[in-house]
Amino acid sequence: MKRYRSKKVSERISLTLIYTVLIIISLIWLIPFLMLIILSFRGETAGMSADYLFPKEWSFNSYVRLFTETKFLTWYGNTMLVSIVVTVFQTIIVLMTSYALSRLRFKMRKPLMNLMLILGMFPGFLSMTAVYFVLREIGLTQNLLGLILVYSASSAMQYYICKGFFDTIPKSLDEAARIDGASRHTVFLKIILPLAKPIIIYTILTAFIAPWGEYMFSSFIMQNNPDKYTVAVGMQSWLNNATLMSDGYFSIFCAAAVIVSIPITALFIWLQRYYVEGITGGSVKG
Amino acid sequence: MDLNYLKMSPLGKFLFNFKNFFKRLPSSFAAFFKAIPKKLYKLWLAFAGIFVNIGNAAKDGDWKTRTSFAVMGFGLICRKQYLRGILYLVFEILFILYMVFFGWKYLVKMGSLGEGKQVEVWDEVEGVYKPVFFDNSLLILLYSLLTIFIMVAFVYMWYQNVKGNLLSQQFVEARMHLPTAKDDIHSCADENYHKTLLSVPMLGLVVFTILPIFFMIFVAFTNFDQYHYPPGQLFSWVGLEHFETVLGGGISGGSKIFAYTFAEVLLWTIVWAFFATFTNYILGMVVAILINKKGVKFKKLWRTVLVITIAVPQFVSLMFMSQLLAEQGLINNLLLKWGWIDEAIPFLTDGTLAKTMIIIVNVWIGIPYSMLICTGILMNIPEDLYESARIDGAGPVRAYIKITLPYMLHVTTPYLITQFIGNLNNFNVIFLLTGAIPAPMELYYANHTDLLITWLYKITLRAKEYGLASVIGIFTFVVVAVLSLIFYNRSKSVKNEEEFM
Amino acid sequence: MAEVSLKHVYKVYPNGTKAVNDFNMEIADKEFIVFVGPSGCGKSTTLRMIAGLEDISAGELKIGELIVNDMEPKDRDIAMVFQNYALYPHMTVYENIAFGLRLRKLPKDEIHKRVVEAAEILGITEYLNKKPKEMSGGQRQRVALGRAIVREPKVMLLDEPLSNLDAKLRTQMRAEISKLHTKLQTTFIYVTHDQVEAMTMGTRIVVMRDGFVQQIDTPKNLYNYPENKFVASFIGTPQMNFFEGTLLKNGEEVIIKLDGSDVQITVPFSMLYKVNHSYLDGKTKIYVGLRAEDVSIAQENEKGGNAVIKVAVSHKEELGNETLIYGDINLNGDSGNPSPTKIILKDSSGREITAGDVIDVALKLDKVHLFDKETERSVLPRIPGYNYLDCEVKDGKLKFFGAELVMPEAAKCADGKYELLIPTDAITFDGNIKAAVASLENINGVKLLALTLGGKRLYAVNQEYAGGDAVNIGVDFKKITLTSDGITMHSPMPDINGINCKFAKRKSFETEEVNGKTKRRKKVCFGYDIEGNFFEVSDAVAQKIFAALGIKKAFTSSLKLEFVVSGFTVGESGIEATVEEMLDYGKEKFIKCKIGADSVYVKTDKDYDGVIRLLPDFEKAWVVDTEKDIKII
Repeated sequence: MKRYRSKKVSERISLTLIYTVLIIISLIWLIPFLMLIILSFRGETAGMSADYLFPKEWSFNSYVRLFTETKFLTWYGNTMLVSIVVTVFQTIIVLMTSYALSRLRFKMRKPLMNLMLILGMFPGFLSMTAVYFVLREIGLTQNLLGLILVYSASSAMQYYICKGFFDTIPKSLDEAARIDGASRHTVFLKIILPLAKPIIIYTILTAFIAPWGEYMFSSFIMQNNPDKYTVAVGMQSWLNNATLMSDGYFSIFCAAAVIVSIPITALFIWLQRYYVEGITGGSVKG
Repeated sequence: MDLNYLKMSPLGKFLFNFKNFFKRLPSSFAAFFKAIPKKLYKLWLAFAGIFVNIGNAAKDGDWKTRTSFAVMGFGLICRKQYLRGILYLVFEILFILYMVFFGWKYLVKMGSLGEGKQVEVWDEVEGVYKPVFFDNSLLILLYSLLTIFIMVAFVYMWYQNVKGNLLSQQFVEARMHLPTAKDDIHSCADENYHKTLLSVPMLGLVVFTILPIFFMIFVAFTNFDQYHYPPGQLFSWVGLEHFETVLGGGISGGSKIFAYTFAEVLLWTIVWAFFATFTNYILGMVVAILINKKGVKFKKLWRTVLVITIAVPQFVSLMFMSQLLAEQGLINNLLLKWGWIDEAIPFLTDGTLAKTMIIIVNVWIGIPYSMLICTGILMNIPEDLYESARIDGAGPVRAYIKITLPYMLHVTTPYLITQFIGNLNNFNVIFLLTGAIPAPMELYYANHTDLLITWLYKITLRAKEYGLASVIGIFTFVVVAVLSLIFYNRSKSVKNEEEFM
Repeated sequence: MAEVSLKHVYKVYPNGTKAVNDFNMEIADKEFIVFVGPSGCGKSTTLRMIAGLEDISAGELKIGELIVNDMEPKDRDIAMVFQNYALYPHMTVYENIAFGLRLRKLPKDEIHKRVVEAAEILGITEYLNKKPKEMSGGQRQRVALGRAIVREPKVMLLDEPLSNLDAKLRTQMRAEISKLHTKLQTTFIYVTHDQVEAMTMGTRIVVMRDGFVQQIDTPKNLYNYPENKFVASFIGTPQMNFFEGTLLKNGEEVIIKLDGSDVQITVPFSMLYKVNHSYLDGKTKIYVGLRAEDVSIAQENEKGGNAVIKVAVSHKEELGNETLIYGDINLNGDSGNPSPTKIILKDSSGREITAGDVIDVALKLDKVHLFDKETERSVLPRIPGYNYLDCEVKDGKLKFFGAELVMPEAAKCADGKYELLIPTDAITFDGNIKAAVASLENINGVKLLALTLGGKRLYAVNQEYAGGDAVNIGVDFKKITLTSDGITMHSPMPDINGINCKFAKRKSFETEEVNGKTKRRKKVCFGYDIEGNFFEVSDAVAQKIFAALGIKKAFTSSLKLEFVVSGFTVGESGIEATVEEMLDYGKEKFIKCKIGADSVYVKTDKDYDGVIRLLPDFEKAWVVDTEKDIKII
């Protein structure tokens, strides 16, 4: 009896401890975002050197200025456009590559996988200068199409997780379909793709989110044409400008951050299940 | 296997393996070099095979096959394989047109990278100075590389054409069924489906990744920088000069600052990748275990709290953090106001402190990801493993060390490797946090927190030393490749890809 | 609704391992064939080759009239049921079954009709709108069967379809698949590792091991006449009892001695007539096999008989209607003897027996199986290969069993006593020795005659036998072996002549009448290159070689042509050969000659000398790829 009680007590203690830790963790993770939201409602144009958190005057001023004074809406549109197009291209390319590498057997399969592995080790930026000149030659620098091309062109290298997922689909399904009279193309369209829903959504999600956070390529390609900036480049340009920062742009930055985060957060929470399935499906089996 | 090994303590096992690793090192090196002649011989055989095939085609081929040595696809067209034949022919014509009107004039200048630079000439009609372009080293290099790529592709296609023509001749002679155009098209959706699927992705890869990589490798041997920027100025080959600079020769510029910076950046890159990967991984696992512990309620809520932070774009959180932690940022200001500190803490400017802060911020950014992954795997660990451990008398810590950790490590090795490689090239975290901080005097266009990749960015965009940047890029590749190869070879789970198929 | 024929089918992996070796079989229409064997024996690989999911490395696979080696699975008109069902998880049962029909663009009504019909046959109509996930294993397997049968294929292939089901369901589905076979009247090929499934379902069973076919026969024959120890042990539960031992012929009796114990059983020689005599020397080790049901607790009246031995009981398994008794014929317990002495017997008398008892056990020796210890092949075959007898040669005459035969020139031997080996098919019915017919057995279409000659037994395999109590027999001397003290004095003529050759092509011209004009057209023809002589072959043969070796390797591989003895005729032109000697077998004459390094025997009616020319008859030859050791044609 005594033992039983002691076990229960210790369990209770450990649970309390766990809850405390979890609450602290949650606070650590949430507070910066709460701060972001709070700061975005600052009415006064205090610079970032302000020594207080809660606004002296709550207002939507920053949001109004964000949409009236700045090019934010253009940037937002740019990013959205790039994201959507890249998502379409990248998803198709990744699915095609993964299917070929997972299901088809051909002589160059292993060398190809090794090649992509090695290419993945080259810093992407290394090739950037050359890509920039190529784009300049075909007149696509400071152009969204150029950015889309750069983002989509090397998507094949993202095959890894998707292939891992395909590998888990039993091969006998392909074989059954082929005996039923399906060509490899039909197998891909009618059997594999319908079963790959989680990984398709995962691919879409990651492809869609990537351009929103990408800074390196977009800043290089757009250089100093603010009309073509994506949100990441645009917002970074504020932070580097001390004059703007003292003019309340810190709050505007926060407001912009909130606006950028809302749709992606919503999307993410909605499709969370697939994201987890995709990322673990690939790594559990890999 | 030695049975004594089994009774060793973990430390003993480690030492044993460690010792053996070095003991085996000479023999494995020897084995590696011993294998080289065999590999070379195999390569030679493959190479010789090509010429044997061509020779056979010349010897056994009829006039149709022989004609297709010059007119690609001729034999195929004669034998009614129109689709293939015409494709070969069109390819050849396009190639010739390309070479005559475009490729050749760049290729011949590749040795000098151009002679005449851009000059301005008085335009009498309009009455202004107008720039007249002669040569552009950049374009010469780029297009001659492209031309070489296309030539290689052409030689390959030509070889395929010779083989294909001979084969079709043999098919006809053997009175066997030759695939018709219809068969060929059908096979694109079936036997040759991989070609259909992979052609577009591979084209993208070649044009936007492989060609640029080659370009930059060549640039490493030129003096391409802001003073030699075409078309105004031309650049030329300089040999290994930049490599010497980076490795400490210090010839150009006269100081060793570059080599010193390289060493420091390289060291920090490796340290960073290691810490960033493992802190995230282990802490993420701990959080996942806490959330998934039996009896903890609102599991979904805790998880969602963390997942929300994934959804907020990384650059937003990073920029925001850089603002908060800045010398005049909110945190310093608050601490000063409350009187906890007397002067601003240089969170992101002081070398060591900045490095620590970056790792902490990275933990904050990365834990939700690793938590998600670990959760998924934790739920897959069979419950009976824990039950039997409990029956054997293992406490929670022992169960973690003996069951959870090995299982997780086994399953997540590929994830860890990709994370590690990703961190070696992690641009965003470093650049968005500390990219705006000016470089200290003792470093060349770098501050203490720069990784190879961010340094590369700065050398390219700020110093405009393209040649040097390429060298750094090549070294970055070498570092990443060596480290990841070591990892890949250590992990067994990567190898048996076919096992679960 | 078709025959399936496999000829010299091989599966060789790139690393050189052979998964399937020289698989030969003719499967008749509507047969239910079961491939059985332990895992890794090549049974699934063979099935997958028939399905087209694996390439065939060499050989010929025919379904119906078509050679399907290079056909895609979808064009072969077959259907397959997989072990893990392989149902498309995202489709309903209806869609699963209809998938193949839709891909074949059948009209909608027809598809519906067929799906509903199949569902009714299998009793899954109510599940048609469900997804596979919502169904039990048995139901899923039914859907998989349904998907196969709607296609109305020529051949149904089933790859371990029941091994994912529990024991009870398995028995039930077994019966249902058998019923389905009767109903559909289609050829079934079924792969399993479970010998019970094989025995209960198959009309014929193929037992495989390590890529080799062990035996192809009906369930009953497999059980009663296993051709080797593996088949004997694989078929039947509990496993057959095996003991190591020796046979010693002692006058008209044979003593069977079992190692590891002091058991000695005497049986009349007549029971072991078919045994190769070299095994009866009391030294050559053999395996003695007896099934558990052929061993029983001795009745009172059997005790003391010569087929009764003592067994120490170690434990028993009560099965209700019968008891399995495990024992040891080595009464001293296990003394580290390497040869097996354990025995299992079935007892249905219900007698009380406890562990430690020593009981008397009666062996049904007419059901005994004997196997060579090294080759594990049966030494008591149903159709014996040879007659073993003692003989005497005197004055050019061969004397055995009181009969006398004049020996032909080629078989002449010095006078003396010999051991004589006459193959059962070397006994002809055109001689002058009168022998009585003791019995006639018809084994799988082969007539086996037991003859009595001088009171002794002779076996003859001869299809000419038309009936009657007696026949006049002779001996085909070119097939006999004479040995004396282990030294072969006369060996039979080989019945295969192997010649090395290459596959080659040659250009020739053919003339053709087109619109009244004679046109000369170049034509490439193919053939064998034997010692510089070119022999054209038909396109069909050439294509088989191309199919097996590849169009490029066909000309560089070294091949071997294997001819039967009558494969050559002496002619004006042909391959040059040097005569070595003339062999005169009385009624027949042969030339022994050399082509290059290969010896060749040619039937003739004249004497030749020096160099002659031989014309080969390729109809009577097959082609072997010497590198891979694979029969191509």
